[in-house]
Amino acid sequence: MIGPVAETIEALERRIDELRVAVREAVLAGDRALAGQRRSALRSAERAWEDALDEAAPGQTETSGQTETSGQTETSGQTETSGQSEASDAPDHPSARAGSLLPLREQVYEALSLLQMPAAPKLIATVHEAFFGATFPTTRVTSLKRDEERSFRTAPFARPYYICAALSADYLAPSRGLLAVSTWPLELRVIGSLSPRVDFLTAAIRVAEAIERIPEPPAAARRLLERFAASVSGAISPGGGADPAAVSEAARAELAVHRDADARVRRAAAERARGLHHAEQLFGTAVFRDRAGDGADTPDGADVQGGADHAAGPDSAGRAAAE
Amino acid sequence: MTGRQPTGREPASAAQAALDRLRGRALPKNHDARTISALAANPGCARRALMDAAGVDKQRVAAQAGFPAPFGQSRFAIVRGNSFEAQVKENGAAQLLTLLRDLLGLDVSEVGYADFNDVGGNTTAEVRHRHTRHVLTAPDQPGRTLLDHPLLRLKVGGRLAYLEPDLIALRLDGTFHVIEIKSFAVIDGQADPGKVAAAAIQSAVYVRALRDLVSEAGGDPAAVSHATILVAPRDFSSQPTAASLDVRRQLGVLDRQLSRIASIEDLLAQYPSTLTFDLDPDAQGRPRRPAGELTDAIGQVAANYAPECLATCELCFLCRDEAVGTTGALGKPVREDLGGIEYIAQARSLARGQVPAPEQAEIAAQLLRAAQLREQVLAEAVEPP
Repeated sequence: MIGPVAETIEALERRIDELRVAVREAVLAGDRALAGQRRSALRSAERAWEDALDEAAPGQTETSGQTETSGQTETSGQTETSGQSEASDAPDHPSARAGSLLPLREQVYEALSLLQMPAAPKLIATVHEAFFGATFPTTRVTSLKRDEERSFRTAPFARPYYICAALSADYLAPSRGLLAVSTWPLELRVIGSLSPRVDFLTAAIRVAEAIERIPEPPAAARRLLERFAASVSGAISPGGGADPAAVSEAARAELAVHRDADARVRRAAAERARGLHHAEQLFGTAVFRDRAGDGADTPDGADVQGGADHAAGPDSAGRAAAE
Repeated sequence: MTGRQPTGREPASAAQAALDRLRGRALPKNHDARTISALAANPGCARRALMDAAGVDKQRVAAQAGFPAPFGQSRFAIVRGNSFEAQVKENGAAQLLTLLRDLLGLDVSEVGYADFNDVGGNTTAEVRHRHTRHVLTAPDQPGRTLLDHPLLRLKVGGRLAYLEPDLIALRLDGTFHVIEIKSFAVIDGQADPGKVAAAAIQSAVYVRALRDLVSEAGGDPAAVSHATILVAPRDFSSQPTAASLDVRRQLGVLDRQLSRIASIEDLLAQYPSTLTFDLDPDAQGRPRRPAGELTDAIGQVAANYAPECLATCELCFLCRDEAVGTTGALGKPVREDLGGIEYIAQARSLARGQVPAPEQAEIAAQLLRAAQLREQVLAEAVEPP
């Protein structure tokens, strides 16, 4: 991953050095027109170098486009202007390249926005593949949340949205393996004991609705719906296969059983979560993290002692919900 | 090898001192569900009972004695097992819920799910166990149906072993059912009997631990059902199927074995007080004890080798080597068929017509007859039709 990026950057650095020599020669020769052209080529190469460096920083793998751009700048000495525009525009138009070149966080955002509920990386990747035609390794999603948290802690609310954690309703700690979007209401991002099922049924409905909106749904999307249907009672059509309307109806029927109880727990937990710092609201409390581990960002010591007793609060809320 | 976990030692008794001496300078090895089930798999083995009670690191002892066992689960099996488990549990255990609804008539409203893999980010055994105990036994708990990786514990030989049902325990009508998720295939309703037996004994260990937890909290241990649920891939697909496993027999064996370890004094009394499996480690912890001397020490405690040991015990190669020539090395059925005859050579000479000792008359007659039949059949097979 580092290899090609470093290579591109090095190629650009060599190019910049060459251009500097060329500019100096043209100026010393008194050829103003040529000097102007070479200066602008130098500027575009420098810009491309900055872009390549930016791309390398967040661990992006796609640098082939950049390599081509730099190649073009090198070969088309006469047409600097076009080379320049390509070099600066390439990162702004990722869709012009293959679909998977969209930054990972945007792909995750697309999938989560379709689902409108916290989801595990695997489901996010499957949904993205089904509806947006590109997939990504789930391992990269795991580090995404860490990057997002770091970004938020350095410059809070600098981005319009963050890929953040779902919080467990009891301790408001990050719920294992679930991702959410920071702009969602807290009620959606806290996970009580009924929430996994409620969210699963909600996801089934969302996927069914998304398929109904597409005139010719891709095969991957239909397969995804079938997998949802297999785990919702009464969702499989008599002739086999999954009909979006039937899946949606069956999921709604079961959802009606759990929704109110789940909503009560989530409301209560969200109410408590509002008392947290912004970063904790998004990425969960750290009070219970293993002390040997990264518990450094514990906000206040009081919670560490009181932690075990906290159980009573959320649990009584849960009991109210279960009744 | 594994770090010492918080162990609830019993009051230092003479037996405990003797066990510590047997183990020597090594740290006690903690039990897990596999080692506890292995205990019950061969209840007749004094060697294993003694070493396990003392927490001896059998792997290292076997290696030092010159019989290292390539022991432990295959990495591929672990990965496969984990991914199947993750698949069954993903999306709020959607696949598992469907199975349980179909097979056990679980009510639609029973979907509560609790994750015990960490407690608010804390993954230490003690905290997870406390949380498990709280959720399972506190009267004010909401009805949760699926409990993911609760952390139980069981007292084995005075030490507490933490057990993590590699599965979910489920509450159905107020009773707990232990669910074991395994990655071996159930083909056409049939699975490898050996693997099912291993799963059953492992489930029994969890049932035992769960019953202890419930009764410690003043509950009725009968609330933990002896009918456990085995979830495994169906046929050649990755689709799960579930079956009920009755583990009453395994519980009986396990209880007997645990009480035997608890009353380890009787077993200890049979051996000299100089016996130890200490490896004589140097400053870096490298074992220095001569293999021959160690093997002699191990040999003082009788083993009960059976081919099944190869799947469950780190000392298997040593015991197999020792058992060469005995009827037991051919498996339990052979030994039972040849009741009273210890060595294969002896059985062969009886079959050849050697005059038997009076107590072997019956089995000798059978062997003779079997040998004659074999000769006859072989002769017929060789002759052209």
